[in-house]
Amino acid sequence: MQLHRRSILAALAVSAGLASLPLVAHAHGPTRQKVTLTAEVSAPPSEVWAVIGNFQDMSWHPAVHSSTGAGDNAIDATRLLVLGQENGPTIAEILYKFSDEKMSYSYRITEVAVEVLPVTNYSSHLTVKPGTDGGSVVEWRGAFYRGYPNNDPPAELNDEAAIAAVFGVYQAGLDALVTRFGGN
Amino acid sequence: MAPVLIATVLKATEATAANYAFVTNQNGNSLSVINLNTRSEAARVSLPGAPAGVAVDAARGVFYTVSAGSKVVRKFGLARAEQQAERTLDGGPIGIAVSPDGQQVFVSDWYNARIWMLNAEGLTPADMIETGSAPAGLVVARDGSWLASADRDANQISVFDLPSRQLRHKIPTGLRPFGISLGPQGRLFTANVGSDTVTVADPVTGKVAATIPVGARPYAISFGAGAGFATNQYADTVSVFDLESLRVSATIDVGEYPEGIDATPDGKTLVVANWFSNTLSLIDAGTARVIAEIDTGDGPRAFGRFIATGYAEEK
Repeated sequence: MQLHRRSILAALAVSAGLASLPLVAHAHGPTRQKVTLTAEVSAPPSEVWAVIGNFQDMSWHPAVHSSTGAGDNAIDATRLLVLGQENGPTIAEILYKFSDEKMSYSYRITEVAVEVLPVTNYSSHLTVKPGTDGGSVVEWRGAFYRGYPNNDPPAELNDEAAIAAVFGVYQAGLDALVTRFGGN
Repeated sequence: MAPVLIATVLKATEATAANYAFVTNQNGNSLSVINLNTRSEAARVSLPGAPAGVAVDAARGVFYTVSAGSKVVRKFGLARAEQQAERTLDGGPIGIAVSPDGQQVFVSDWYNARIWMLNAEGLTPADMIETGSAPAGLVVARDGSWLASADRDANQISVFDLPSRQLRHKIPTGLRPFGISLGPQGRLFTANVGSDTVTVADPVTGKVAATIPVGARPYAISFGAGAGFATNQYADTVSVFDLESLRVSATIDVGEYPEGIDATPDGKTLVVANWFSNTLSLIDAGTARVIAEIDTGDGPRAFGRFIATGYAEEK
């Protein structure tokens, strides 16, 4: 499948003029999608985890303007990401797994407008693993359904659009880490 | 040949009749045929259209699949995994079950609150049955006297008399039941995605017997060694519950996003499809431990009954 690189910043530009209706979606499309991206960086895992291993701090991602939340890194901790700028679009998320030992956390989106991120029932894992020559591999995986829960989705809310959007978010975040820690 | 020798030969033949898992790989658009004895993939067959639902009919030597994306139901011979028939439906076909006599195939329509009844021969549509909103899993009584659907967005089980297809019961469940299975004692079990519970209900009386808290986002249920096994998609675990006490006795770590689950005919091994990991986890029912992990194609869903003997054997 051809993936179109598109950062969430581009998605923000699209969404800026739209009234964002929160979608509390239980219904979903027929096929769950998955995206896995990895990036190799030269810093050791502990150093990378120290930056990205805090559910309450996502300032390492270029699309995130601010993050406020409750519960630190405990299960069921929450965070509200504001994207792009003050009063920008938001994504509400909840933590459902966290392990310093495994250098991994898992979270779900509890509320996002499909104009911001065209997905429903989204869950994600962020993990740091040992890489080559003392470096690290950062792995970001997501599972989600398309933004349109019913049959015959419009193009901007179909399976391909959902994959492209999540791919863009992950790529932008991992690119920032490569810049920060150096590629490997 | 001496009788003792015949018995020995028969026993040897029995021992080599391998169980196979017929696994729908939804993201990979393929079907993995997994030999559960050698624990390796025996074949991978192209199966387009994002396949999810599957139903084996070992007695007839066939199995059926549902491609949720392209809305195509297919019938295959078990021995060679070769296609025998296909039928394109509309709406949102997802779950599938076969009547015990092998004559009818039932397919749930996620989008239109109904079940298609197809003739197994040629998959020609025979009838339509109305359900609650978003029917997913389907199961038929062992004696063929009823059909039940897990109506996800109606938070209920619908039970229909067969062959009349009259609605017999609407049984309330936990939130958003997806998978539905028939336990060894004739009770229905639904995996309730929205409330992280399993509902236990009697299809004859229509009464709920128990609600069992399990892990996050349960998907489907199977049985072995006097226990039920529920896959928990978000927890990456399988909850084991005792069928007498109806309480969880163990929780087993499996791969990521465990979904479809089925048992070998002897009930000794549970097989779990890990959608994100692209693997099967094999669980020993007696010890409740994972004994093997086997690679599949991309996105194994295996939603339904997917284990049978008979692959690579002439019938």
